[in-house]
Amino acid sequence: MASKLADWVDERIAYRQIWQAIFLRKLPKVNWLYTLGSASLLVAINQIVTGILLTIYYVPTPDHAYDSVQYISSQVPAGWLIRGLHHWGASAMVVLAVLHMLRVIYYGSYKYPREVTWLTGVLLLLTVLGFGFTGYLLPWDQKAYWATTVGTRIAQVTPFVGDWMLRLLRGGSELSAITLARFYGVHVWVLPAGLLALLSGHMYLVIKHGISQVPERQKEPTDG
Amino acid sequence: MLTWGIGGLITALYGIPAVAYLLAPALERAQEQVWIRLGSIDKVELGVPTLFKTTIERTSGWITDREELSVYVITNDGREFTALSNVCTHLGCRVRWIPDREEFFCPCHNGVFDRSGAVVSGPPPRALDAYEVQVEDDQISILGS
Repeated sequence: MASKLADWVDERIAYRQIWQAIFLRKLPKVNWLYTLGSASLLVAINQIVTGILLTIYYVPTPDHAYDSVQYISSQVPAGWLIRGLHHWGASAMVVLAVLHMLRVIYYGSYKYPREVTWLTGVLLLLTVLGFGFTGYLLPWDQKAYWATTVGTRIAQVTPFVGDWMLRLLRGGSELSAITLARFYGVHVWVLPAGLLALLSGHMYLVIKHGISQVPERQKEPTDG
Repeated sequence: MLTWGIGGLITALYGIPAVAYLLAPALERAQEQVWIRLGSIDKVELGVPTLFKTTIERTSGWITDREELSVYVITNDGREFTALSNVCTHLGCRVRWIPDREEFFCPCHNGVFDRSGAVVSGPPPRALDAYEVQVEDDQISILGS
């Protein structure tokens, strides 16, 4: 009965083929450094799940941001755990993505035919940094406030467009309710949209091309 | 098999805290009841429901608000006091005492209650809620949250 149902579904959506392509694909003999991409994906899923849960209580206004975060951490059951996972996951995300990139560089995995995979990966890393930058402001404590003051000032020293960029980031000349609201909007809508698009492309290409082999040392040239 | 086991474990590790996290405010108990002082009983005339107003602090989530609480105090002999909530038992509008008709009236759906709070006519399903009352040194207090 169960297998008949499975056959019925498979005939219509071909899930076995998809499962095969994703989880049962052939891999060359590789080492543990090749798990850094999967590790980044796992942490990304952690960030998505815990991030969605945090929006249930978090309020992005100067009146309520700090208090709602304190409420999550001290009053809501498992709130400390969910916020902690999101907080530490954010740092882990950056570390893992950078290590993953280094692995790709040192093993030459960015070369033909994987240049586009590399490109989407670089954009993903920038997205992750964007998440880190915008997320850092949201607790609206002293550290958040001054870190964003400094971070937006760094953008200001860009030649020619610096002043304009500072105003764009802050939504005005000062750090304000507008800054907090736009950082939140970017953190929960703009960047996730970009992340999902880039991640889909990245994963598609990884599966399409298969992963690269560990490069081998070239044999000593023999005298002709 | 191992894969499914690990997958299940991870799902449980996230799922159980997530459910507790989401349900928490819904399962929270009502705030503790305390004695709220309304004022002097001197202004309560025999047989006439008298409105007392006071403000109470109410905490929801991370916000503590001051809220106005209105209570009708009634006595027929100057010794036994009754305190009725002015919240209509139908859908929560505020009732008021109409002296000419000698009844409480709720303007939302024409609910009518008598002097003791019992339903006279209209949609309210039960009598007005009564508070526990305490009188000390001519000061009347009610038990509420």
